[in-house]
Amino acid sequence: MWLWRELHGLTVSATAGAAARDYFSLFNVEPSFTIDETVLEQVYHSLLSQFHPDRYAGKPQVEQRVAAQLCADINAGYRTLLGEVTRAQYLLQHSGVDLRAAEREGVGADFLMTQILLRERLESIAESDPASRQALVRDVDEHYGASRERFAEAAQSASWRDAARYWQEMCYLEKLVDATGSRGR
Amino acid sequence: MVLLQILEPGESPDLTATRSIAVGIDLGTTNSLIAQFDGTQVRVFEDESGQPSLPSVVHYGAESTQVGGAALALANEQPENTIASAKRMLGRARQDVADDPYANLTTDGALAFATDQGNKTPVEVSAAILDALKIRAEGHLESPIAGAVITVPAYFDDAQRQATRQAAELAGIKVLRLLNEPTAAAVAYGLEEQAEESSLLAVYDLGGGTFDISILRMRAGLFEVLATGGDSALGGDDFDREIARYAMTELGITDPTPRQRRTLLSLARHAKQTLSESSEVQIDGSALGSDVPPLSLTRHTLETLIEPYIERTLVACRQALNDAGVESVDRVVLVGGSTRTPAVAQAVAGCFGQTPLCILDPDQVVAMGAARQADILIGNRSDNDALLLDVIPLSLGLETYGGLAERIIDRNSTIPIARAQEFTTARDGQTGLVVHVVQGERERVADCRSLARFELNGIPPMVAGAARIEVTFRVDADGILEVSAVEQQTGARSEVVVKPAFGLDERDITDMLKASYEFAAEDMVARKLAEAGVEAEALLEGLRVAMAQDGDLLERDEAQTLDEGMARLEEVLQQADADAIRDNTEKLGRASETFAARRMDRSIQSALQGISVGQLDAESS
Repeated sequence: MWLWRELHGLTVSATAGAAARDYFSLFNVEPSFTIDETVLEQVYHSLLSQFHPDRYAGKPQVEQRVAAQLCADINAGYRTLLGEVTRAQYLLQHSGVDLRAAEREGVGADFLMTQILLRERLESIAESDPASRQALVRDVDEHYGASRERFAEAAQSASWRDAARYWQEMCYLEKLVDATGSRGR
Repeated sequence: MVLLQILEPGESPDLTATRSIAVGIDLGTTNSLIAQFDGTQVRVFEDESGQPSLPSVVHYGAESTQVGGAALALANEQPENTIASAKRMLGRARQDVADDPYANLTTDGALAFATDQGNKTPVEVSAAILDALKIRAEGHLESPIAGAVITVPAYFDDAQRQATRQAAELAGIKVLRLLNEPTAAAVAYGLEEQAEESSLLAVYDLGGGTFDISILRMRAGLFEVLATGGDSALGGDDFDREIARYAMTELGITDPTPRQRRTLLSLARHAKQTLSESSEVQIDGSALGSDVPPLSLTRHTLETLIEPYIERTLVACRQALNDAGVESVDRVVLVGGSTRTPAVAQAVAGCFGQTPLCILDPDQVVAMGAARQADILIGNRSDNDALLLDVIPLSLGLETYGGLAERIIDRNSTIPIARAQEFTTARDGQTGLVVHVVQGERERVADCRSLARFELNGIPPMVAGAARIEVTFRVDADGILEVSAVEQQTGARSEVVVKPAFGLDERDITDMLKASYEFAAEDMVARKLAEAGVEAEALLEGLRVAMAQDGDLLERDEAQTLDEGMARLEEVLQQADADAIRDNTEKLGRASETFAARRMDRSIQSALQGISVGQLDAESS
């Protein structure tokens, strides 16, 4: 009786059963991997300051409920569009890519090999060896940057099959970044 | 709800009359306070003897129930009937409190204290305290309160927050918002209004029996809790005990009677308080016995005595800074009566390399911040006020194959929020699964806190990996979690509002409400009727305004349905039947949900237009 995780998350609307809200249009930005984060944040703050449930504290319950649902969408949308990996995934979904099929196709053998080697390096680094850890973090960052560039290009030219592969690379590498503990949590 | 005033032409509105009354409540472990912002300043309500703080103690005697100082006075006589520090038990399950020092905890059923009045849960004890505070405030205001902001420690989890809400419900208080205590302290100082740029804040809270340190990041009304730490058994009471121990040694008292012990502690507390102002104090020994000489205590000696305790708080501060991943902060706020001890303030200043903010009374600062926020929420101020955004303190996720925790909502996500993740089955022919909801940052489920567990059944047998199960987490603005799981092909569905393991459900609450009104059945009927009426009127008024403004968003038949619903509700309002009013309000509310959502979508469009115009201006200038 166990759950088996899949790589991707889902975009849902906070209203149970309702169709998922289009985050790009919610935040008034073009569907693209390249997003001006300052604009995104500005829109986010202005939406929140208008629709936060606190603004409806004295209003009828129906309005409080709808505002809370909208606000949940705004918060989820902001987080989705702000993170590169989540934004990449959302763009794929938005463009009609079947992520399950993409996951079955997987990443290339070369990338898998690189990934395994990086993992092995991480496991062999001792606590007492910050220099090697730093070097590894740099390498992982470099790989991630390369995958991100490839994703951006593929998305730009609407080569979604390639893009889906590069997105998975980004997922793997992000997990690796987390595992190195170099990202504050 | 703000009542509308009808004005003669040329008459100016009377602002004081339209001010809705909302209060801030600091529900503390040792002491609790209630305060109100009256438009210019915060007023902390005092009892008849001028005491602003109410000891968080409830006495359930055979004859009567006492709250506050009166209950505290009975603590020695009847310890088993007198409950102090119930907040420590709030929202906890039995297994969480294995070795806590409560003599009278029940051994089975819901966690409760056994008293002469039967078993009392921590929620009921907290409700009694909230009720006493409410009565106090309403006495001063000569008017009922419309709602309250109640503060909770930043580290309070979902279960503890739910329990706090239930206590308020039991006391008949409408909760506008649960606010983190350190955030409230920052609001009391108005720090949220100054924080244009991102800045870091430490809130050092040393009370009588607990110590909390929180590191926050503030930016444009957003308060992000970066780290919390502390010690739930460290506070000013330890200082008193050290002084008492010192006095015993100096005075040669080896085997004090219980009475002498109490006297020593109260002399010690008095000496400690005096030493906050002067450098030396005489402890009057005659209270301990006719032949006991006076004892002199210098501030220097006191500081030596309490130094180890202060050092422990500093260790926690350094740990919190480390956890937050920062080296220093921009501001430090002092909270809690024990920060009045000069050695504490100095040590904090040294640790953070700056003079801490301590102009406001450290015992009252949390209640003051809550009062300011309550005033904003009830709608007494303009919409331009800073919005306080809370984040969830710990990640939420669920257990996957191999006992690993899969995060669904990351810690520090701004709430409310909804996120979903798709899962599949791990075995061939698997027809059911257990959704185990956990909280925490660790990878292994065993290291996280278990919040809830529920089953999803009725999945058709398929090969492993073929089922598609969507699990959705929704967290509301108070940090309360709801989880649902749906199998996509069959629509099999299962869900749970994370009812914390402390095990009070809606029925328990209803029963308790009934019990508490057993001798005032008429009051309860009247109260229910009044509440139902207010909600119905609010909905009707809201809909009238909405239909006048945005009636074009409704199809003809939709408008007709709403009109009919409104007419029916108005009719029902004439009869004094709370249940009928509630039912019809609920129905009309549901019927108007789509309309409300469309109206909000329309205002999103206008909000966005406002922004793009603003940006064009900025770019062209």
